[in-house]
Amino acid sequence: MGTRNRVSLLFVFTLTILLNRSGYAIPAFSRQYGTSCSTCHLDFPKLNDFGKAFKDAGFKFPKDDETFIKIPPVMLGAPAQKELWPHSIWPGTIPGIPPIGLRFNTFFQVYGNNRNSFNAQLPPGTPGPFIPRTDFQPGLFSIFTAGNFGSDIAFWVDDDISVGGANGNGGLGDGYLKFVQLGRLFKLPEYALALRVGQFELDLPFSQARTWNLSGWDIFDEANVGAMNSLVPQVSQNTNNVFAFSSPGQGVEISGGRTYRGYHYSLAAINQNTSGTTAPGSNVSPAVGIFSDSNFKDLYGRFSYRFNLERNPAVRKEIMAAGPTGPHDHTFISLGTFYFYGRSVQRTSGVLTDGTTPNVITAREPFYRVGGDFNFNYRTFNVFGVAMYGHDKNLLPFTPLGAAAPTGFISGVPAHFSGGFIEADYLALPWLMAIMRWDRVQSTADFLNGVGSPQDSPNANFFSPASTTRNRFTPGIQFLIHANIKTSFEYQIRPQQIVYDTKTGIPIAGPLRTNQAVAGLEWVY
Amino acid sequence: MKRNFVVLLATVLVASLVASAGTITGKVSGVSGESVVYVNAIQGKTFPAPSERPVMDQKGLMFQPHVLAVQQGTTVDFLNSDKVAHNVFWTSISGNKKLGHNLGTWPQGEKRSFKFDNPGSVALLCNVHPEMAGYIIVVPTPYYATSDKSGNYKIDNVPDGSYTLTAWHEGAKPQSKPVTVSGDTKADFSLSK
Repeated sequence: MGTRNRVSLLFVFTLTILLNRSGYAIPAFSRQYGTSCSTCHLDFPKLNDFGKAFKDAGFKFPKDDETFIKIPPVMLGAPAQKELWPHSIWPGTIPGIPPIGLRFNTFFQVYGNNRNSFNAQLPPGTPGPFIPRTDFQPGLFSIFTAGNFGSDIAFWVDDDISVGGANGNGGLGDGYLKFVQLGRLFKLPEYALALRVGQFELDLPFSQARTWNLSGWDIFDEANVGAMNSLVPQVSQNTNNVFAFSSPGQGVEISGGRTYRGYHYSLAAINQNTSGTTAPGSNVSPAVGIFSDSNFKDLYGRFSYRFNLERNPAVRKEIMAAGPTGPHDHTFISLGTFYFYGRSVQRTSGVLTDGTTPNVITAREPFYRVGGDFNFNYRTFNVFGVAMYGHDKNLLPFTPLGAAAPTGFISGVPAHFSGGFIEADYLALPWLMAIMRWDRVQSTADFLNGVGSPQDSPNANFFSPASTTRNRFTPGIQFLIHANIKTSFEYQIRPQQIVYDTKTGIPIAGPLRTNQAVAGLEWVY
Repeated sequence: MKRNFVVLLATVLVASLVASAGTITGKVSGVSGESVVYVNAIQGKTFPAPSERPVMDQKGLMFQPHVLAVQQGTTVDFLNSDKVAHNVFWTSISGNKKLGHNLGTWPQGEKRSFKFDNPGSVALLCNVHPEMAGYIIVVPTPYYATSDKSGNYKIDNVPDGSYTLTAWHEGAKPQSKPVTVSGDTKADFSLSK
């Protein structure tokens, strides 16, 4: 990867961070229940314990939901029709008003003075990418609808109607039906089993699609795209797996437990998504990228356990901890782990073993992502984090002597990355939250993509947004102007880096930082 | 004989007192919904606190009743009928922040009590559900009424005399006016927000 590409990567990376925001509060629920956003959200879309219980219950109040609904649902059959089943359609309901919410946001960003310093690496007279110092970024305009059809069937659809893409990148985000409280069918606790079908964000420890931060967590955006580097062929990577956890999955998921107390688990089988983009309806893949290999579905599993630490046993079992001066989220600690196993499919032109007959050869590279997470909360202080490791097998095209093109694949050095984040949120006031984050990603693919190669940067194993190790410290602050209007600010601090002459390896700029300030304004209604 | 005379005298006295009690009726206009109309403190007169304990319920994420008028010295029971935790607090009584109080948070079926010794309007809030609001109007005399939703009210058994009558409505500036009660008396209010 050349310098220009590297600068472009930095720019795209920044844009990705900016556009990869998709937090959703649900005004539809506010209307239906006549209650404030803050009933379920601390700093929307961050859920409090009650919001988690509401979500777990299938977008219903955990107990006596019908007594809280201010707009009665429309009956699709009298409840007594149940007595006639199977000679009658099982009765259900639809919300009394269309449960629709809208969301818009807009951003303003300021780049540091060194934003274009990498252009110094280009030959004289070569125009390089230009990053403006200040920039207004139009945000998203999303429509989302969610609720419950009765009979413990919940639904959710959200779509960014202002841009193309999917999930955190716009377009259709989640769209699913979720059958909750199925445990009773198997004489288990009713919360022990739920089934979700459709397109959805995987059950991540912390939702990237509904993050409350201005920029998403880097590790969840990390793809594994290597390079065939002729200078270091021994570690070349044919891996081209752009799957990232921020991408939605299409498939089914079973889950159970509760996210606000005790255990929680989920198991999902989803379409392969090597290309990283949403497949068209027919799921027919283009020549190069393959959305789905019908021979196999990617698998994801997660397990976590939350220990509520309130001293009072009765309070410990409540959905929210209640004290003499008011309610608050429990003091808790939760620990979790997750594992993803998939196959990255690549097709390329090759030949048969005769060495001459044209053929399409297909590599199905196994890959996995594994990680752990923790979450600790003491009243209004919350610190949490994720550590994750990604591994792709890396199948290299193999061209036998005398053959005109590859005839198959051999195993190469695996492409891997690791990293994670730690974030601390402090709700200083009900309308003011202070945030501090540290994101870190280290990737062999980044190394091979040029930054660490001898040609590009002989001493390039520095901390930089486009280096083999990417660190980012991000203090931020968010203000709720109203329960549905929020203004946010964050300052992304990246460690110093040096720009080298790509031919001589001599430093030509720096040490410098490419810090960035972002302000956002968003509202839902 | 003397005893019979005393009884007769007492009967006549009571009868004359009853005969001198009037009714204040009227309408509060300019606003919609329930209002509270009450006789202000009467100089030189005190009234014993009632023993009844009215209930302010929290049900369906609402304070019920939305407006509750009580006489000064009344103890109110705050009940939570919802299957979610509720809190009750108020930041002031008629703007006096020193009288603010937080009763705390409690689950379904439980109740907590508070005796209101200071007259004024108490805006009840719940810090779990910020959209919830209720009002307790603590009045200094037993002569008060809560209007119907059209604003019509009726205060019974008000002794004849001259008083100051006040009308309160949520979000409106309270309005007071002198009134002379002599039998049935009419007093209308026009409030504005």
